Amino acid sequence: MADAKHQVATDNEFQFKSTRASLNELILTCDDIQRLEPQLEAHAARVPMLFSHMPVILNLQALEETPALERVKALLDLCRRLSLVPVGLKADQNDAPELCRTLQLADFSQQRSRPQAPDVPAADAEPKAEPEPKQEPQTEQEPQPSEPVAARVVTTPVRSGQQIYARGTDLIVLSAVSAGAEIIADGHIHVYGPLRGRAMAGVNGNTDARIFCQSMEAELVSIAGYFKTSEDLHSECWQQPTQALLRGSRLDTVSL
Amino acid sequence: MAEIIVVTSGKGGVGKTTSSAAIGTGLALRGFKTVLIDFDVGLRNLDLIMGCERRVVYDFVNVINQEATLNQALIKDKRTDNLFILPASQTRDKDALSVEGVEAVLNELSESFDYIVCDSPAGIEKGAHLALYFADTAIVVTNPEVSSVRDSDRILGVLQSKSRKAEQGETVKEHLLLTRYNPSRVEAGEMLGVEDVKDILAIPLLGVIPESQAVLKASNQGIPVIMDDDSDAGQAYDDAIARFLGEDRDHRFLNVERKGFLSRVFGRKG
Repeated sequence: MADAKHQVATDNEFQFKSTRASLNELILTCDDIQRLEPQLEAHAARVPMLFSHMPVILNLQALEETPALERVKALLDLCRRLSLVPVGLKADQNDAPELCRTLQLADFSQQRSRPQAPDVPAADAEPKAEPEPKQEPQTEQEPQPSEPVAARVVTTPVRSGQQIYARGTDLIVLSAVSAGAEIIADGHIHVYGPLRGRAMAGVNGNTDARIFCQSMEAELVSIAGYFKTSEDLHSECWQQPTQALLRGSRLDTVSL
Repeated sequence: MAEIIVVTSGKGGVGKTTSSAAIGTGLALRGFKTVLIDFDVGLRNLDLIMGCERRVVYDFVNVINQEATLNQALIKDKRTDNLFILPASQTRDKDALSVEGVEAVLNELSESFDYIVCDSPAGIEKGAHLALYFADTAIVVTNPEVSSVRDSDRILGVLQSKSRKAEQGETVKEHLLLTRYNPSRVEAGEMLGVEDVKDILAIPLLGVIPESQAVLKASNQGIPVIMDDDSDAGQAYDDAIARFLGEDRDHRFLNVERKGFLSRVFGRKG
């Protein structure tokens, strides 16, 4: 019997492999489409590349009660209109299975959400200290070293008007980032030429992300939403090799 | 196969058309069969600078729409052998251009010419995009002031992401042409210096054209300034063409010329 099974398995033209992808959650604190739509649109307009076909888990657990099926459908439609790709749902454990079955989405409700440390490569290596839920976890398998997500490396100058986003990873730029250019990463940002444009690290909320550059001449640097403009940078570290990092809710610049 | 050169800048009024005329003429004077194409549909200027405005019958858009053949539309320059001008239409707008249409015209020109010089309109919209889309080489015309430099930076980004070469994973050759350079204003700190611009744009410097009375005079007379051998601007363009063709020439006109005693006494203008 076991042999037969084995036989079948090797004949198949597919294989299941465990993988670890960086997924973002869209946590809603309100299910009123009228209110959400302009806010999300504004966010999408600001960082269009962040939104383009980004897979997300729609998290409804912060809502007071799980919305009705029609409302959830409308929320998913809103996501898709904004080029997000909803792949799963987190909701109240009693409502989630039914909703997910109807909407053909994966149910992530039993996974503990970690709002403080979003899933970025840096967080991947963390040991799973939190207590496991009683049910067999479906996605978290035995701890095995996941393949590191390679950093995005850019060797050409990043010109004014260009926007580069390293999704789920670090961004390394070997040449200049011009004024009017934007470089964005979920992880760290390294710039080996002068940094004259805008740099945003940890945009999906990773407060451990940092920005390193050879010559700080940026219009703006931001980590997880905390930012400094060139006005502040002028008095701190202008044209110096600098790193920017978050200390609590303060963005600090330290010369290298 | 012709080499397709786009003369572009992003910003308007920096000297694209003047430079296109000078570059086209300069290449033709050295014996290369050259055609100048005005991509600024609706704001036709190149014919004026080249002094052939009275001989325009058919234009670029007519050729694209197959209302005229290339031979009917091409205007042969009266002063320089080997030089032809394909004027823009003045009554149409940029929507009259299409990728396929432009490609067909460029392919046909490619068969018989050595260089095709495309004079781009300002901006980064359709006209400018089509002018640079098929380019092998870009000459980015920049004035030594911050807004012009930033716009040039932007257009360099467009070149390396939205041109056909970029789509095929190749790179467009880039040259910087710094125009309307005034060394005394640079010295006074009112203008960016050559090194500042080179530092920001980080592309090879093809030439520095000094701010010169000769340019306006040449434009109004419809004679490309490169034909004015006595003028500093004409000589600077000639140097630029030589460098473009691989010659090694020192950059001139970068420093303030100290007027000698005699010229001060007699008030000769430099």
